[in-house]
Amino acid sequence: MLGVAGFSLLTIVRGYRDPHRVFAFHMFNESSVWQADIVRVTIDGRRVSIDDPWPGGYRWATLVPERGLAYPQVRRHADAGVDSTLAFLDAALDWVALNTPADPETRYLEATVTYDRNTHGDRTVVLRSVGRAAAGGGADAETS
Amino acid sequence: MRAWLRSANAALDAEGSVRAVAVLRIAAGAVLWLHLERFVRLMDDGLYYGDRFHEPYWSWYPEVGKTTYFWLLRLAVLAAVLMSVGLFSRLATVYAAGFVAWNLWLSTTHYHNNRAFLLMILVALAVLPSGRVISLDALIARRRQRPRVDRAPLWPLWLLRFELAAVYGASGVSKLLDGDWWAGTVTWNRVARSRSELAQAPLPDWFIEAIADRGFHTIFAKVVIVTEIFIALGLWLLVSRAFTIWVAVWFHVFIEISAHVQVFSVAGICALVIWATPSTRDRTLVLRGDGRRARTLAHVVRRLDWLARINLVHDRGDVPAGSADVDQVVTFTEVDGRRLAGSAATWQTLRYLPVTFMVALPVSWALGLRTDVAHATLTASPFTRTK
Repeated sequence: MLGVAGFSLLTIVRGYRDPHRVFAFHMFNESSVWQADIVRVTIDGRRVSIDDPWPGGYRWATLVPERGLAYPQVRRHADAGVDSTLAFLDAALDWVALNTPADPETRYLEATVTYDRNTHGDRTVVLRSVGRAAAGGGADAETS
Repeated sequence: MRAWLRSANAALDAEGSVRAVAVLRIAAGAVLWLHLERFVRLMDDGLYYGDRFHEPYWSWYPEVGKTTYFWLLRLAVLAAVLMSVGLFSRLATVYAAGFVAWNLWLSTTHYHNNRAFLLMILVALAVLPSGRVISLDALIARRRQRPRVDRAPLWPLWLLRFELAAVYGASGVSKLLDGDWWAGTVTWNRVARSRSELAQAPLPDWFIEAIADRGFHTIFAKVVIVTEIFIALGLWLLVSRAFTIWVAVWFHVFIEISAHVQVFSVAGICALVIWATPSTRDRTLVLRGDGRRARTLAHVVRRLDWLARINLVHDRGDVPAGSADVDQVVTFTEVDGRRLAGSAATWQTLRYLPVTFMVALPVSWALGLRTDVAHATLTASPFTRTK
């Protein structure tokens, strides 16, 4: 019993360094807002918005409907904080890069994220997915 | 210190009624259904988590195919129903806890604080024999002339109390340590960004202006923080437990109105039942005569005393001559032997019923009624006294 209670306290403390604050119960922790422009960077170097037609008929909102990431172009509240949103978005870029096998032209995805943490002013960060093999959705050695 | 350790040790070994846990089991079945509903809707569309963005915590974590996942999900829905009706209670609670835990850890995207909160409840229900009362299991056992004993070791209950109180504490302290929260920036900014939505709501303009004011939030934020920490601590203290529960219910209602928190509000309110004393029928309500007041109160207690706090004695014989007054009709004897009569006894009775608690508590205080808690010896185990 003491072990479980101690572990719970540990997860609460650990939450201060975990972007997702798992079992740390930092509720309603931020009023931060964010917005992202996400593009597919193709093999020939073009930067195509995810709002434009996508080979294979993919749609970002269908691939990534969770955690408030479905419509990144719209400035909105970061539900579980900016750190959590950035971590999810980073992972989502990788997942999409690796799970869109019918797209033969995209080399990687890139998100330019603008966020305002609790009214402290806009900051911008660029996230990039893992690289894709030219076709078939396999990853090469690039990392985000 | 040694005396406290002895007291704590005795509390860990203590056995008591699992009645409150059974009430929680019934409610948790419904809460579990609310939790699963989102996954069931996906299933109805032929989708599961693997079809969309997800991020496993660990590469070695066991996953299953879509068809198997759907069957496991259907079984979880069945478990939710079985939990609420109390059939195969132990099996249902163990499965429910197992599925929710497994599903939670399938992907980082599945984690929400309210789901972790629900999981804590389900794990405790799986460990405790919550099907021994208020269940079809208990009914069947009685029919077979093998009635179940409403007692069990209570250490899982103490652990659940700790875990749930820690949730309020962690939330309050995280805000306390956050300068933006303490200054009111976080709540003010949320309201300011929701102005257009608030304007659509059926709220008076002066109210919207007031809650959108920056100065209001410098105080409001501190009230929120103090409330959360008060709930975390107040539940443990004998003198404050009932009031803390009362505050906690309003706190959850406020959260539900102001934010979308999935099952957190309803789970939080239902879970407050675990702070009731794990013993039954230790207060006596005596009703005399067959008048309307006596019959109504007897009916209310029989229907709503889900926690079996009250030993009801209804003497339908004639009320003693010349004593038409209510003091002769209703008497209530507390654990410590104090005796209340008339309206005071009625309100004190209603105070122990979950459904009437929220109204009866302030009324009983307005009437100046003492509670056994307020006068309980402070050397008693903090685990075993009552709300």
